[in-house]
Amino acid sequence: MFSTDATWQRTLRVAVPLGALALLLAGCSNGASSDATGAGGAKVAAVIKGLDNPFFQAMEDGINDAADTDGVDVSIQAAADVGDTSGQADKLSALAGQDFGCFIINPISGTNLVQALSQVSTAGKAIVNIDSPIDPDAAQTANIDIATYIGTDNEAAGGKAGDFIASQVPAGSKVAIIGGIAGDVTSAARVDGFRAAAGDLTVVQETAADWKREVALTAATDIIAANPDITAFFAANDDMGLGIVKAVENAQRTGEIVVVSVDGNKDALESVAAGGLTATVAQYPYAIGELGLQACEVVAAGQTLPDQIESPTALVTTDVAADAIAKFPQPFEAFENPLTALLTK
Amino acid sequence: MSTPTKTGPTRTKPADAPHGVVAPIIGQARQVSFWAEQAAPIGLVGLVIVFSILSPTFLTLGNIRAMLVAAAILIVLSVAQSFVITTGGIDLSISATMTVGAVGFGLAWQAGLGFVLSGLVAVASALVIGLINGLLIARGKVTDFIATLGTLSVATGLALIFSDGKPITVNSSELLTLTSGSIGIFGYPIILAVIIGALAWFVMFRTRFGLHVQAAGGSEESAVANGVNAPRVRIAVYLISAGLAGVAALLLVARVGAAEPAINTAFLLNCIAAVVLGGVSLTGGKARIVGPIIGALLLTALTNGLTLLGVSQFYQPLAVGLVVVLAALLTRFQKK
Repeated sequence: MFSTDATWQRTLRVAVPLGALALLLAGCSNGASSDATGAGGAKVAAVIKGLDNPFFQAMEDGINDAADTDGVDVSIQAAADVGDTSGQADKLSALAGQDFGCFIINPISGTNLVQALSQVSTAGKAIVNIDSPIDPDAAQTANIDIATYIGTDNEAAGGKAGDFIASQVPAGSKVAIIGGIAGDVTSAARVDGFRAAAGDLTVVQETAADWKREVALTAATDIIAANPDITAFFAANDDMGLGIVKAVENAQRTGEIVVVSVDGNKDALESVAAGGLTATVAQYPYAIGELGLQACEVVAAGQTLPDQIESPTALVTTDVAADAIAKFPQPFEAFENPLTALLTK
Repeated sequence: MSTPTKTGPTRTKPADAPHGVVAPIIGQARQVSFWAEQAAPIGLVGLVIVFSILSPTFLTLGNIRAMLVAAAILIVLSVAQSFVITTGGIDLSISATMTVGAVGFGLAWQAGLGFVLSGLVAVASALVIGLINGLLIARGKVTDFIATLGTLSVATGLALIFSDGKPITVNSSELLTLTSGSIGIFGYPIILAVIIGALAWFVMFRTRFGLHVQAAGGSEESAVANGVNAPRVRIAVYLISAGLAGVAALLLVARVGAAEPAINTAFLLNCIAAVVLGGVSLTGGKARIVGPIIGALLLTALTNGLTLLGVSQFYQPLAVGLVVVLAALLTRFQKK
């Protein structure tokens, strides 16, 4: 037991020499200098949400591809899952002490990375906030300077879904909303946007399905059973949307119930093409990642970034699904990249 | 009266046998039980050596500080779990209890109670769950696994109900100081965690109560025969576990800047893993405090090192799992 003196002596006899060896080796290895700039002029670190979701996988691809194209040295770390707030903070803390010139940050919550970011900001390193915004009050309290925010107008994305559903079903029809994690800022914005646009429709139920397909499937099954005359579902992300599609299929109501979600993941686009999902509001996480990396390049070049950059969104229905799939993960509609001019200066 | 003489072969010491400091190390290192007993410290030192070679950043003061701060919550939870596991129980509700504590803190803060009172509310909220666990197990004779699995769900539900499912943002200068303040390379969270560890060690190994905890885990019948009130001890360890989860809640709110109602099961799995790495037997009766603390540091160092090396998130749980399984296999060879 550790409580006995004999064990302590045994432990120390092993640990002390090994510890001394470790410190000696560390002394040798710390002599190695690390170049702070890649070929593109900036060594970039990115900390994003869980890679268990295709949305964030596409975001990672966008960062990596832009880095490869422009010759930028990038290191990407992700949270274990969408609820791993402290784990994501630990990863950022680990990277904060390294020689990165710019940090691309996609926080799980508005505050979970604030403490680690204060360290980054104090060191005078650039912070590019993508997708989910950092809480402005918390950032101010911790003296964090955000170079720019790049993301979708989530309320507008929800609004596009609301407008589309309102055009597909009669006024006063019963609809249901399935949101992400209860209290999540992104989910709330999409739902608020949907509600505002779908004013004439009757929302019979709103529930949270934690961004998960199987949870949404169960919830939608119950809602359909309780409301046989339901005409449409709005889901705050594609994964949940696909769960609803399965519930609609199980109830043998395919084609009768409209299902619209937000994100534009490849499996969702394929579902739209196959007549499963009625539509998805594509968000282009790939473009968000790409813009994030380019923003770091702009900072490295000494240029000033705009406070906010809105990434593109587009409603994908059956008639444009094939085109969207062909162009995936790039936006299938032309969009003006506000950073192009700054990068060519 | 004649003195008894030892019989049997006498051993002659070979001329070239190692002696001095090296002899005991080599002698012990030949035994599998030694590696089993010292799995956590040896593993930690081994990791430090490997990562310091592979990453020039690993042993920088900034990274050591970041690692220690990151380990603080897990250390507190591992110490908490150690008390329960020593009695042969297990607390599956520990991370949900921490979440209840965090929500309690957030609501108290929102109500304007201030930092200290909000902290007390956090611990008190957690203690309620601990008391329920203790009573169910000690008085209700419900299996610890089932009881704490049930309270895990209850606590999760309560956290969501009281917070209305919304994170409560806490912009507090005291919390910012708690999470970012330090004495040298030692951040306040790790200092608090070490103080808790030291107190826990004292309670476990230098008090009658600690002796009773170990006795209750060894053989309850023998313990009762020797005057140990086993049910009361069980209630006490679940209260200790919950109280420490409440303290961990304070560190968690400080770390993430909000009281979040969603539970993080990674803490539950990792604190049990740290206890196993620390050499505590899951069957009970064998107490350790320093071991689980080193286990928590090992798991934190492993994740930190893999992050610094840019290892994909997909491989990190695999590495942690392999380390825990290896430690579990080694426990077979521990001296009873």
